[in-house]
Amino acid sequence: MTKMFPKFAASLAVCTALVSASVAADVIKIGVQAPITGQYASEGQSIDNGVRLIVDQFNAKGGILGKKIEVVSCDDQGTAQQAAICAKKLVNEGVKAVIGSYTSGATEAAQTTYFRAGILQTSDGTSDSLITHKYWTFFRNSFPNSAEAEYTAKYFVDGKKYKKIVVLSDYSSYSTDLADSVVKALKAKNGNIIYEGKIKSGTQNFTAALTKIKSMDPDVIYYSGYYTDGGLLRAQQIQLGIKADFVGGDSNDNPDFMKLAGGSAEGTFLINVPTPDILPYDIAKQFLVDYKAKYNMMPASIWSLMNIDGLRAVLNGMETTKSEDTKVIAAAMHKLKDFPGITGPVTFREDGERLGGGYMTYEVQADKSYKIVYK
Amino acid sequence: MDIFLQQIVNGLTIGSLYALVALGYTMVYGVMRLINFAHGDLVALSAFVGLTVYTQIFGEGITSLVAVIAVFMFTAAIIAVVGVLLERLAYRPLRTAPRLSAVVSALGAGLVIQNAVMLIWGPNMKIFPSEIFPSTIWEIGGIVVTFTQVMILGISAMLMVTLFFFINRTKMGTAIRAVAIDQDAAKLMGINVNRIIMVIFIIGSALGAVAGLFIGAYYRGITFDMGWMYGLNAFVAAIMGGIGNIPGAMLGGLLLGLFNAMITGYISSQWAETFTFILLIVILVFRPTGILGETVAEKV
Repeated sequence: MTKMFPKFAASLAVCTALVSASVAADVIKIGVQAPITGQYASEGQSIDNGVRLIVDQFNAKGGILGKKIEVVSCDDQGTAQQAAICAKKLVNEGVKAVIGSYTSGATEAAQTTYFRAGILQTSDGTSDSLITHKYWTFFRNSFPNSAEAEYTAKYFVDGKKYKKIVVLSDYSSYSTDLADSVVKALKAKNGNIIYEGKIKSGTQNFTAALTKIKSMDPDVIYYSGYYTDGGLLRAQQIQLGIKADFVGGDSNDNPDFMKLAGGSAEGTFLINVPTPDILPYDIAKQFLVDYKAKYNMMPASIWSLMNIDGLRAVLNGMETTKSEDTKVIAAAMHKLKDFPGITGPVTFREDGERLGGGYMTYEVQADKSYKIVYK
Repeated sequence: MDIFLQQIVNGLTIGSLYALVALGYTMVYGVMRLINFAHGDLVALSAFVGLTVYTQIFGEGITSLVAVIAVFMFTAAIIAVVGVLLERLAYRPLRTAPRLSAVVSALGAGLVIQNAVMLIWGPNMKIFPSEIFPSTIWEIGGIVVTFTQVMILGISAMLMVTLFFFINRTKMGTAIRAVAIDQDAAKLMGINVNRIIMVIFIIGSALGAVAGLFIGAYYRGITFDMGWMYGLNAFVAAIMGGIGNIPGAMLGGLLLGLFNAMITGYISSQWAETFTFILLIVILVFRPTGILGETVAEKV
């Protein structure tokens, strides 16, 4: 037995090596968790399309670390319940990294599962709460709500000098988080908030809440939710003859906002990082050309490009470390400094936060185009 | 005061949409003692059919009232046919089966319609063109009323009054009431019960279709699963007014819309649904048959 054991152990080791080699196989799997159907479908599909485009480009050049990349998509419908299911599914699929999701709520619901499995995750969710866990697996590829809130407060108090401010949000974790941050930032600048309210996403009829707001005669109505409700809010605001400015947070920046608001879209202010078409970087211009050539449309918004930068940072981490070990890749990503991204230089802080910002305010013109009114 | 009046206008608009949908629930229940859970999904289907008819057949950009009326009539006709088919396929074979089987069949039919809408039109939100109705806005002493709101209020009121007289003043209406009271006795009097049920489904579905089109024209964004929310609210309205009772459904719908607007306006939108269901419970505790429902002696 004593003689047998080393042999046995050796053969076992060989077996294990063989098995793990066959499991590791010759592909590297990258997961996409995005709302491919449901109310945020245009954003989710855009993320999925963008990831597949980049992966195709990598595979055409021979893949990564000598292996082809395979994309596994899971539709979380923008809900926390589906996100939890997706997380388990993608873990079982053996992906190395997950791109997404679009909403903070769906991202948060999946975060812990990826962390426990040691799978990298990169999302455009802007809710500040996403980095509070300090998971080494999580990388935010957008900028946090607190950065947008500070910009918003500066624009309202110093730029526009609004005297009576109304802040509205829906019940999602992203929207409440952004609204809370904006309120906090406004109070720090002595902004006068006359009303803070919530609307229920998807109920379509906001006239009752808006009528209440009308009686307060505000200078500005700020909405921190998503475009599906923001467009209707704007339309119903104009319909009720409320003279206030309408300022939408970043998630209102979507072509469907314009369609929903119809003729009322003109004069709306939207706060976001630069839109895809005005990004000054060559790599961004090239990406948009490739995207248009493959899908015959433009990406839904800047958010899919942020996620693409997350993907590119992950792939860059694999290439530079020549490793598939997520711990090694994560360490390299944390050290990343000014990696040339589509949406600007990418630098991650130790807790996974992307550093930077650069918000702008756009005024929607009669032809639905954007004019930059404040930087 | 203007705020109060404005909330009444808001409430009446959404309330009359609920009332139109509630009529479909209540008429079917009155005649067949069946909650037609697929009705809300017919409303959603109508919005999608209407949008397709409008953009494909008439072409986008047509604002003439004649074309819009044609779209409404055509869509209502299609939905009425779907309603009749629904009754033929999902309810008629179960007419003598235990009531629970029919309810399960109704829930299933609702899922079938909802998923069919998703498969045909896709899971994304579809958006109605803004020029269906002129964007005229009237401001009367601080109260804002839009052209679309006037259309919704006017056409709903017209349809409901017509329905009321149809049920109470015509021969067919008398037959419907007879079938509602006692199907077997009605049969003995020479009434074709199958035909009456068909008429009920045609009217109920067509009214739901009009509501669906108004939802599309007024709120613009339509999703395949929106039937559930409008269906649930309308169902609550039908129960409040007294299910099976036609004026009750109209009253229930308007009350529900007004109540919702007032809670949102004076308390907060967070509480609107909670208070709606508290109101429903209170009504059911003190008047189990609903506001206008009559206490009918149980047949022994």
